[in-house]
This record gives sequence, C-alpha cells and structure tokens, in this order.
Amino acid sequence: MPNRSFIRLTLAACAAALVAGMTLAQAQAPGYRAPRAPDGKANLNGIWQAMNTAHWDIEAHSAAPGPVLELGAAGAIPAGLGVVEGGPLPYRPEALARRNENRANRLKLDPEVKCYLPGVPRATYMPFPFQIIQSQKHVMLVYEYAGAVRTVYMTDHVEAPADSWMGWSNGRWEGDTLVVDTRGFNDLSWFDRAGNFHSDALHVVERFTPRSADTLNYEVTVEDPKVFTRPWKMSMPLYRRVEPNAQILEFRCVEFVEELLYGHLKKQSGK
Amino acid sequence: MNRRSLVSIGLLTLASPVVLSVNLAGQAPAASAARAVPAAKAAAPKPYTPPKTPDGQPDLQGFWTNSTYVPLERPQGVTKEFYTPEEAEAAIKAAAAREAEQTEPGTTADVHYDFSQFGLDRSQSTFARSLRTSLIVDPPDGRMPPVNDEGKKRAAERAAARKQAGGPYDAVQNMPIGSRCIIMGGAGPPLMNAGYNANYHIVQSPGYVMILTEMIHDVRIIPLDNRAAPDRNLRQWVGVSRGRWEGNTLVVETTNFNGRNPVRGASENMKVTERFTRVADDMIEYKFTIEDPATWDRPWSAEAPLAKTNGPIFEFACHETNYGIANILAGARAEEKAAAEHKKGSN
Amino acid sequence: MRATLAVLITCAGVVLAAGQVRAHHAFAAEFDVNKPITLKGSLVKWEMVNPHSWFHVTVKEPDGKTSNWLIEGGSPNQLIRMGVTKNTVPIGTELTIEGYRSKDGALKAVGRNFVLPDGSRLFLGGSAPGGTPDKK
Repeated sequence: MPNRSFIRLTLAACAAALVAGMTLAQAQAPGYRAPRAPDGKANLNGIWQAMNTAHWDIEAHSAAPGPVLELGAAGAIPAGLGVVEGGPLPYRPEALARRNENRANRLKLDPEVKCYLPGVPRATYMPFPFQIIQSQKHVMLVYEYAGAVRTVYMTDHVEAPADSWMGWSNGRWEGDTLVVDTRGFNDLSWFDRAGNFHSDALHVVERFTPRSADTLNYEVTVEDPKVFTRPWKMSMPLYRRVEPNAQILEFRCVEFVEELLYGHLKKQSGK
Repeated sequence: MNRRSLVSIGLLTLASPVVLSVNLAGQAPAASAARAVPAAKAAAPKPYTPPKTPDGQPDLQGFWTNSTYVPLERPQGVTKEFYTPEEAEAAIKAAAAREAEQTEPGTTADVHYDFSQFGLDRSQSTFARSLRTSLIVDPPDGRMPPVNDEGKKRAAERAAARKQAGGPYDAVQNMPIGSRCIIMGGAGPPLMNAGYNANYHIVQSPGYVMILTEMIHDVRIIPLDNRAAPDRNLRQWVGVSRGRWEGNTLVVETTNFNGRNPVRGASENMKVTERFTRVADDMIEYKFTIEDPATWDRPWSAEAPLAKTNGPIFEFACHETNYGIANILAGARAEEKAAAEHKKGSN
Repeated sequence: MRATLAVLITCAGVVLAAGQVRAHHAFAAEFDVNKPITLKGSLVKWEMVNPHSWFHVTVKEPDGKTSNWLIEGGSPNQLIRMGVTKNTVPIGTELTIEGYRSKDGALKAVGRNFVLPDGSRLFLGGSAPGGTPDKK
C-alpha cells in the first residue's frame, strides 16, 4: 500500500507533467513539424499578419464609438477578447494614471497618429502584413506599416549601442522556435491605440513558433519594472498571406500627417 | 574593360597613407591595409566564383556602400573614360581635404555641424573606388542624353508648380522630399550615393533578395518568381521591383513609380533595370539602365560599384525626430513677423 | 597633364553629394548666420537620433543662473559604426560649443564645433571623454 508522501509526490509529478504538456501544446500543435529552411532551421519565411483587434486595445474590451465623430461606424472600435494573458495589465499605480491620461488624449498623444515607428510588439499586430526574411546571420522583420524594419542578429550578439524605436534584437533558435530578445527601446512608442505604454527599460522576448503550414504562434513576454509590477505575457496566432502575389506594399505615411503636424506653421496668405 | 580595371584596382579604405590620417575604430584595419593593391598590378583577373547561399543563390549578402568620389556625369573638360591612378588619387585627396576643411565663420557654409566630427565626411568610411571619370557609361561621353520635348514640357510644368507653391519655407510641402523624411536618394532605385551613411544591407532567403537602404530604413524586397508587374494604378515611391538570376547576375526590373521623386526629371513611367554581380569578396559590380521615352529618346546606363563595408546599420528613424522642420518653419515665420513689424514701424 | 590635374582638382572639389548641399541650405534657414554663439555647459543628454542628433546642455550664465540649451549635431550612425555608444560621452561632460543660434529665438543652436576640456574636438581622432570609443 503506497504511503501518503509517495502518493503526494506522484500527484505532484503528474500535475507538473500536465502543466508542461499544456504549455507545450499552446506553443505547437502536437505533431506539426515545419518544413526546413535550406540551412536546416524551421522555415519561418513568408508574409504574415495578425487578425485581431489588439492594435486598438491589447486588453479585453467592448465595442465602442471611435475617437473621430465624422467617421461614424467606420472609425468605431471593434470588441476584443484581449491578447494579454491573465487579466488586466499589472501597472504600477502612477503608471496606470498615465495610461488613462494617454487614453483620454489619444488623438494628440498616440504616436501612430503621427506616423511614428510603432515599436515592439505593436508592429506585429498592426492591421498590416509583415515579412520574415530569414538568413543564417540575420533574420529581417519588414513591416508594411511606415516601412518599419527590424534586424534580428542571430550571431555576434552585442548590446544596443543607443536607444531606438524598434529596439535592438538578438535572436536564437530553441528547436523550431525563433526567440527574439529585444532591448534598447526609447520610451516613445505605445502598445496599442488605448494608451498602453512603456518606458526605456522595456525588455521584450518574442517567440515565433510554426503551428501549421500557414500559421505561427506568437508569444511575447514584456518586462518593464519602471511601468509594471511584474512581467506579463501576450499571445496570438499569425496568419500567412497566401495570395500568390502577396507582397509588402508601401505605407509611407509621413506625407499623410504633415498637415496635421506642421499646418499651424504654414505661411498665412496675405501676411 | 570595366570589370578588369575595377577589380585590379581593388578597394581601399581609409588606410591609404595619402589621405587623412584619422581612422577610427570600426574599420577592419588588417583587411584594409592588406587591400592596398597597387594599381600597376593590372594583370588579367582570376575568374571569381561567388559563394552561394544555402538555397543556391549567388551570395550578395552583407553590408555594402556606394559612397564614391566619382560623379554621375563626366566633368566638363574631361573627355576620357578613365583617370590614371595618379589622377584619381589626386582628385580624391583634394576632395577629402576640402571636406575636412574648416569653413569660414560668418558664412552660410559655416552654419552647419562639422561633418568630420561625426565621421560623415567620405574619408572616414569605406568608399567604392574606381578610376572612372563618371558613373555614366552610356552614352559613351559619360553625360546624360539630352531631354526630349516631352521631358522639357514636364520640367517646365514642374517648375511652374513649384513657383505657384510659394517660397521654400512657406509650408512643409514646399521643402525637399529628403528634408521631409519621406524618402532619400540612396533608396532609388537606382541606388544613388546618398553622400553619407551611404550604406546597404543585403539579405537573401529562398525566392527573395532584400535590400535595406540606411536612410531612411528603406527596404526593397525583390521577389524572384517571375511575377508580372502590378496593375498600373498601383504606384510607389520606389516603384515595384521584380528580379531573376541570369547566371551569377541578379537582374532587377522596376516599374510603377509614382513619379514624385524623379531621377533627373524622369516621368512616372520610367523603367529601371539593375544588375548586381559579386565580382570579389569585397565588391559587387552594380550597373543600372534608365529607360523613359517620355524624357529621353534613348536609355542611359551607369556603373556604380558597391564596396564591402562594416555594419551595423543603426535605425535611421527620421520623421520621428525631425525637429528641423518645425524649427525652419517657425524661424521663417519669425523672420516674416520681424520684417512686417519693421515695415510697420517705418511707415 | 598639369591642366588636366587642375581641372580634376577643381571638379573634385565641387562634387558634394546632393544631400549634403541641401542640408547646408536648410541649416541656414533654421539657424542665423548673424547670431554666432559660444556656449560652455555640461551635457545633460545626447539624443542619438536621426536625421540629426541633439545635445541637451545646461549652460551656466555669468549671473549664476542656468539655462537649458538644445544643440543640433550630426547623425550618430557612422559614429556607432566606429564604436561610439550612448555611454561614450558621459552625462556631466563639460563642453564648449561654437555655433549659430536658432532663428526663432529659442535656446537652440547648431553646433559647429564641440570641444572637450582638453581642447580636442569631440569624436575626432577617436577623442571622447575617457579615451577612445569602445572598439567592437
């Protein structure tokens, strides 16, 4: 007859195995093995796009009127189940106040409105495709939105020489998962249109894992001790753009915002 | 002809003793010293076989620069196609010295940060060396062909529109495209010398060649699947590119330009054909041909080699921190206000 | 031969990339050639951004008050390739900056020359406070 501690140990081991199994299942559909890139690594090359409303708000949110009256329903906010795992974002109290202020003044404050580079991970789930171009030394992430681009250094890892909008990314493979570790962000980008933000202490780890021929699992751990009380995770599938002539097109939006940004400095006629 | 002279010259970085002695960290000193190949060694070059990418494409990958002292057009008074090595050296020395020269205080030229303090003069970074007197190789006189009547008409219309728009600082839309951080000359196509930060990063994956232009983080992704050009109603600043390999040469055709950043006055129907061939570990032979019957009655071509350089290419986010636009416009408005008040005072 | 060389040297001298020529032009519109200025201050922050970097400098006036100036410099990208990082010029570095004041009257200027206390010009010849920039 097994004693109590043996039973307890066995149950604990079973529970651990169950949890491990579940975590693994989130990352990769059991049994799916992606085709190989020519160098033997999983082939993540392709044009990908998120299909959710995280770009509006990464937390769960109801449908709501948009910030621009004249757009009516065309500019209204669709609902979202949220891509952040485990409930609301763990803001420090003063940071939460700032997030709410951001949200209340989003037209003036959201960097997306000004066509500024979107930062990470926002670039991934903007409503635009991006392309992964995979080589041994560098994996390039090329985003249609504002022509943003990230170089993921797969070898010769160094620290960020200076801060930037898209950060400095060092990458490695863990099995078929591309792990991208990014630091060296400035504090100027947001996570979404809802005012969720970060500081220059932001540290993002992304994991891209093939889950089927035309989908990836995208998991992100975000750490920013100046803004959040603990690290938090988001995850979502990414869908391959399968049109035969799919390509990243230009969204060179600087021109679209010049009047907004500089119109007040124009020479007034008659003066 | 071209290839032989370019290959036998080799590529020099700042390690050449005849130019400025400043050589900051970041260059690969051993490599550049070793590469000071005397020009006299003009023997027939060994045929070069480029390495291949894992999927079998000739490997063009790495960091490259098209910084050069060679002008697009042959200077007036020069009739030959190539300088002697001594002449080329003298021209480079003079240009390098001029760039490092102190400007005269109180002049417009002095109202600028000093390029050399930021490493931005050509002598402080790798440049592609060539004995050519011009990048243009066709027409054979090294100069642009004449603009035809349709091209002249378009140029006149553009000039009239600019005049209509008012002064250069009346509005942001009147300022140069590059100052507005929309696109800069290095992106092309064709790839033109940007003046500084004239760098590119080429990365290849199966079916694609990607060219990242440093300024303004401009990426061209060139598909190699023989796809057709898009519908004429889709137009882009950089056009739409399609590529194919012809032996070891990547041939890229680009059409569907929006005509807003014309190469030397070209129309939106310009077609650019580029040819990239790795001819040495540290050099890509880059040739381009411009065809635009709406501007020139004949195509014209240039050769502008790409020299291997070192990275990284740091993010050139431009619009985000382009404080100069607001400063310039505000400055112009302040001057107008002061002039108006002065006028009022003297009435 | 001499004539050809002379032509070459003259022509080579005017070969400035189009971008550089344009840049000259715009700077003279932003800053006033008639308002040269020399500032002595300590570095608060070097914004290593493009298209031009910006030095935030606290300047001590003769009357003891301090003012905060914004000085425009060049793109940091080539310096980064040469090993310069955000740690190269420490906060508090004393700088003498010669330049021209902003046309709109703000406490802004373009920095023609950034000079360190030992008289060397910032970044030239590898000079930065604390010695050569980090090599990669």
